[in-house]
Amino acid sequence: MILIINVCKDKLSEMEFVRPLAMLIEDHVIVHYSRVKLVDRKAAEKIIIAGTALKDFDYLEGKFSWLKKTRRPVLGICAGAQVIAKEFGLKLEDFALIGPQKVEVVKENRLAEGVFNAYFLNTKIVAGCEPLAMSNGKPCLFRIAEKEIYGCLFHPEVLNENIILNFIQ
Amino acid sequence: MKLGILYSGGKDSSLALMKAQKYHDVVCLITVVSENKESFMFHTPNIDITLLQSQSMGIPLVRVVSKGEKEIELSDLKKAIQEAVQRFKIEGVVSGAVRSTYQASRVQRICHELDLWCFNPLWLLDQVELLYELLEKGIHAIISGVFAEPLDESFLGKEIDKEMIVKLSKQQNPAGEGGEIETTVLDAPIFKKRIMITDSKIDYARFAGTFSILDAKLEDK
Repeated sequence: MILIINVCKDKLSEMEFVRPLAMLIEDHVIVHYSRVKLVDRKAAEKIIIAGTALKDFDYLEGKFSWLKKTRRPVLGICAGAQVIAKEFGLKLEDFALIGPQKVEVVKENRLAEGVFNAYFLNTKIVAGCEPLAMSNGKPCLFRIAEKEIYGCLFHPEVLNENIILNFIQ
Repeated sequence: MKLGILYSGGKDSSLALMKAQKYHDVVCLITVVSENKESFMFHTPNIDITLLQSQSMGIPLVRVVSKGEKEIELSDLKKAIQEAVQRFKIEGVVSGAVRSTYQASRVQRICHELDLWCFNPLWLLDQVELLYELLEKGIHAIISGVFAEPLDESFLGKEIDKEMIVKLSKQQNPAGEGGEIETTVLDAPIFKKRIMITDSKIDYARFAGTFSILDAKLEDK
């Protein structure tokens, strides 16, 4: 089972950022970040932290300290990647990328390869990370060293479903 | 939250409106009338029907006419949204975008520039599921434009019912996400009165055609 953590402040945003992931993953459970319990994380094989609307930043005040302790592989998408960055002491910088952009993989990894177009919807990027892929000269896919924890600043559910499928496999 | 919806009068924006109303107060419809038939953003047959739809729903309409030149029409959309902010104090915008990253990203950018929330409740929704949801929600839509083979004249003016969904399901984009079909909503639970077409015409040649509503009125349900 894949645990999808919903970080949306607004219920209407869930249809845009959580439902598309749920459609891709047959065996899943969705829990809002404010209600995620240890038992939810333990029951999951892997965890995906979903994205949210551009104007929503409430999730940055959420409690995600469990990320440092978990042994479960985690994929953070957009807002989820920011949460991971914050928890592991990486810096968030203002940089807006909206719409399809070219992405180039710069380090071999199990999620993505080559050059492709991806759909971005973010106003912050992560600095100081070791990038797996770059877009517009900025890291857009990264991995926390020695952990199976990935941050993806674009929305793979839109144009790159294979990244999600590679993660859950 | 007070929201405005980008409303074309078709099935997608009508379904998005109903979903948004579940959580928020949709206080105005925002319609950009494009004079350019090739517009990627806004061209829709029967766009003027939004005047009657607005009246039927009792939701005011912000209507802006655009020459439809690429990118300039985006500044026209921005002006329309700014007018909605000024007149109706909207804090966010809803769109019926399903798959088009071209349309969705442009609306997202404008909302970001204007510091507004942007909601796309149909985003990446399965197209056949979307069509059945129209029926479940009681949205009565007709096909008002066909623009791809093998969709021919026989589809024009026909209601999207179960039989039609079976036919459309055979297409690559059953709900017309590639621009294969355009639709016009004549009735829905949010309409206080239904739209009765009193005059129409069909223009069709080689798998491209429109069902134009020349005259229509509201009638009691």
